[in-house]
Amino acid sequence: MAAPNGQASGVRTHFKTPEGRYKLSREKTYPTGILHYSHGKVVTQVLLAHLKDRPPAQTNATSTSSSSSTGMRFPAVRLLGAGNGSRALNFVGGNGFTSKLSSGVKSAASGVTGTLSNGPTAVHFDGEGAYIMFNVGDAIFVSDYNSPDKDPIKSIHFTSSNPVSLAFDSEAKDGHDLLIGLSSGDVYSASLRLQLQDSGKKLVGAAHYNKDGSLNSSRCTAVSWIPNSEGLFVVAHADGNLYVYDKYVEILELFPVDWKLFPAFKTKDASGDASFPPVKEQAQFSVVHAKSSKSNPISRWHICQGSINGLSFSMDGMYLATVGRDGYLRIFDYAKEQLVCGSKSYFGAVLCCAFSLDGKYILTGGEDDLVQVWSMEDRAVVAWGEGHGSWVSGVAFDPFWAPPSDSAESITYRFGSVGQDTQLLLWDLAMDEVVMPLRRLTSLNASPSRVGGTGQASAWDSTHGPGVLLSSPLRKEVPKLAPVMAHRVDLEPLSGLIFSKESILTACHEGHIKVWDRPSQGGSSPSSSEILVGSIKDRQVSKNGTSYHKP
Amino acid sequence: MIMGASGSKIEKALGDQFPEGEHYFGLENFGNTCYCNSVLQALYFCLPFRDQLLDYYSQNKSVGESEENLLTCLAELFTQINSQKKKTGVIAPKRFVQRVKKQNELFRSYMHQDAHEFLNFLLNELVDILEKEAKASEAKASKTVSGNQGQEKVSNGSINGPVNGTTPPIVTWVHKIFQGTLTNETKCLRCETITARDETFLDLSLDIEQNSSITSCLRNFSSTETLNAEDKFFCDKCCSLQEAQKRMKVKSAPRILALHLKRFKYIEQLGRYKKLSYRVVFPLELKLCNTTDDAPNAEAEYSLFAVVVHVGSGPNHGHYVSLVKSHNHWLFFDDENVEIIDESVVQTFFGSTQEYSNNTDHGYILFYESSDPKAQTD
Repeated sequence: MAAPNGQASGVRTHFKTPEGRYKLSREKTYPTGILHYSHGKVVTQVLLAHLKDRPPAQTNATSTSSSSSTGMRFPAVRLLGAGNGSRALNFVGGNGFTSKLSSGVKSAASGVTGTLSNGPTAVHFDGEGAYIMFNVGDAIFVSDYNSPDKDPIKSIHFTSSNPVSLAFDSEAKDGHDLLIGLSSGDVYSASLRLQLQDSGKKLVGAAHYNKDGSLNSSRCTAVSWIPNSEGLFVVAHADGNLYVYDKYVEILELFPVDWKLFPAFKTKDASGDASFPPVKEQAQFSVVHAKSSKSNPISRWHICQGSINGLSFSMDGMYLATVGRDGYLRIFDYAKEQLVCGSKSYFGAVLCCAFSLDGKYILTGGEDDLVQVWSMEDRAVVAWGEGHGSWVSGVAFDPFWAPPSDSAESITYRFGSVGQDTQLLLWDLAMDEVVMPLRRLTSLNASPSRVGGTGQASAWDSTHGPGVLLSSPLRKEVPKLAPVMAHRVDLEPLSGLIFSKESILTACHEGHIKVWDRPSQGGSSPSSSEILVGSIKDRQVSKNGTSYHKP
Repeated sequence: MIMGASGSKIEKALGDQFPEGEHYFGLENFGNTCYCNSVLQALYFCLPFRDQLLDYYSQNKSVGESEENLLTCLAELFTQINSQKKKTGVIAPKRFVQRVKKQNELFRSYMHQDAHEFLNFLLNELVDILEKEAKASEAKASKTVSGNQGQEKVSNGSINGPVNGTTPPIVTWVHKIFQGTLTNETKCLRCETITARDETFLDLSLDIEQNSSITSCLRNFSSTETLNAEDKFFCDKCCSLQEAQKRMKVKSAPRILALHLKRFKYIEQLGRYKKLSYRVVFPLELKLCNTTDDAPNAEAEYSLFAVVVHVGSGPNHGHYVSLVKSHNHWLFFDDENVEIIDESVVQTFFGSTQEYSNNTDHGYILFYESSDPKAQTD
């Protein structure tokens, strides 16, 4: 592995945690010398995409030279089969042959021809792989996660609008697994594998939603696949609206399909206009369904007044959490389309949120410099992490971390946050330490107020009516949490954080991704006494000279 | 009054949403008077402040040349804007600027001036004038037959001449709007005695750091400082110089919180001031994190309504503009020019993360208004 450059700026290339030393192992960024004029106007978002291995091709549909005879079936097959493909209509095979479409095929997307690079070093992208994707200026860059190269292997450029949010579905059974939201409001779904196999600089084989912002012209602020759904995804906008789309509807709009081959798609057909009536009450939550349930988007959720800044689904797809400009974390029962609960930040807009894997806790970060932990069971704020010296732009649980084997029985959650103060912070929250005292405290004092209503409800009352939004807690009421590690990752404000099995990835506003490898488990791991010293030292590390303490 | 081209644009943009009775007027620049114009716009859109001045003018209309002062000139200027027939346009604050220059030789030259110094000077000057007027009317009141004038802060009310002894400070409406209290706590590290001393403020000047937030600057402002070496503290209890810890916390938060970002730093090696272009983010809503535990309005939420922006790479070649919130939309004032801007544009004035950047427009003075009705000093 290539050693990272010496950091002249004084940014260290490693940091210590109770579990050992994380080392900067590689960096990814946009190719040097290429600076679009919109660079700096758009904040980089990052994702890590795991492309699963493609099952072996089924023989009856691989022949491409007979494209004219397969006629109508062929174009749809072309789009669907190019994905991860359990349906495996796999004619872009491992042998490197070119596939061409018959001339009569039209596509709303920018060109459907896919050609493989023919050079001897061509990588075929058929098997599994891991890719880092990030947006800078007018483009999206794709880098190989495991390679030490700084430069991307692929770039996808957009005209007249900038990509601003990304999402990837590694569980996608077929077809499109990549979502791209633009600043114009437009959204694309596409197959990541197809992009990798294409040597061009434009998005290929993509479906285009909200063309030219015709349905909603405000900026896309977040895109996400809905877990446990068949091809459904959501797009959030800067005007407080969120739309639910069905990727299969868009595709079928373009091409007639032989239903015998694709019975699952039978119910969807592309008719109907998906315009919605204007939102009447800007501050009220409302859901409107499209006139036809078989057109895109399927529904519009008006979440709040002002921008939706982030969203997160629980892993089972049951709950949707949103955070926004109005300072509220809102949790919805997705299937029932109802607001379940939520609360206001200490002050300012909330910028990011993340569900824990077990669905019990939600992290949020925002303009009050705090990392907040919300408990779904208790429907209350459990702790505030104080440590950032500026706004918190990314939060995530670390599902790969395990507490040291000799630790106490209480369940500990490890999570991380990145901020505009250029810092990465890691936190440990032992639930027993915090939750029990909070329960005692809050049952005495709390009186959450119903938004817009006059009633008062006890926080622990299990007969909570639907849709109670708690007002901002008092500073002295919420237990404070100190980070176990604080590290200046970059010279630029940070915008993204990902935990992977082997490392932690951080992204900065300007488009630099850093990969920090987890402490090695083998012989080179520090002795336990070294870890202890390191952790005490890091606990005392503070940016502003103030000391952290729990109240 | 010249009808600026930008004015009609605003009227078109707002249409019948144009706030009733409101006026958006640019101010003419008389040669580097933008330091003054930008502050005036911020103060004009500080509604409690504006109301007091309009009130003052209506009660003190006939003021001759000899009795003219900064307060009367400002009141007249605000009234001029407020009573315009047109909704938008440009006004030349000639009289006011002349008065400023007359009053303070610092502002007499045509060189660039510092907007914060001007704000400071203006508020203190208004306080002086109001205090003198209050004293004068107290003296008048105590000379009348019926001693019961219902003055707020009348003390002994002696008939013959100035009041002696313990006079409670006169609280002017400037104080009621802008004044807060800090408590200075010094703890002797030997005997652990804490000496507390209160001091009032009309604004807070904050040291800034790169890639920080205003919250973190406020936290720094109230962080503990150690007094040692040559800076030891003379402890009354120990009767000697001792090492001590000192910190300043907000004891009482003002109704209008004016935060000055110390962007101009004196660099010894260069022998001059340099502008720090640090990116310091500030939210549209804010709560103070550095209040004392017993502060009555510790949880008050503030709302940003104006930003004075310094434009330029250095202290001497700058320009000032202001961003102002009026009736839930944001406006950009650049001397004569007035434009509507989207709320998100405010974020482009945070500063830059790089030393040399195209963007030299940086937030310099922030004005927040408390939503807490109790946030007034008495």
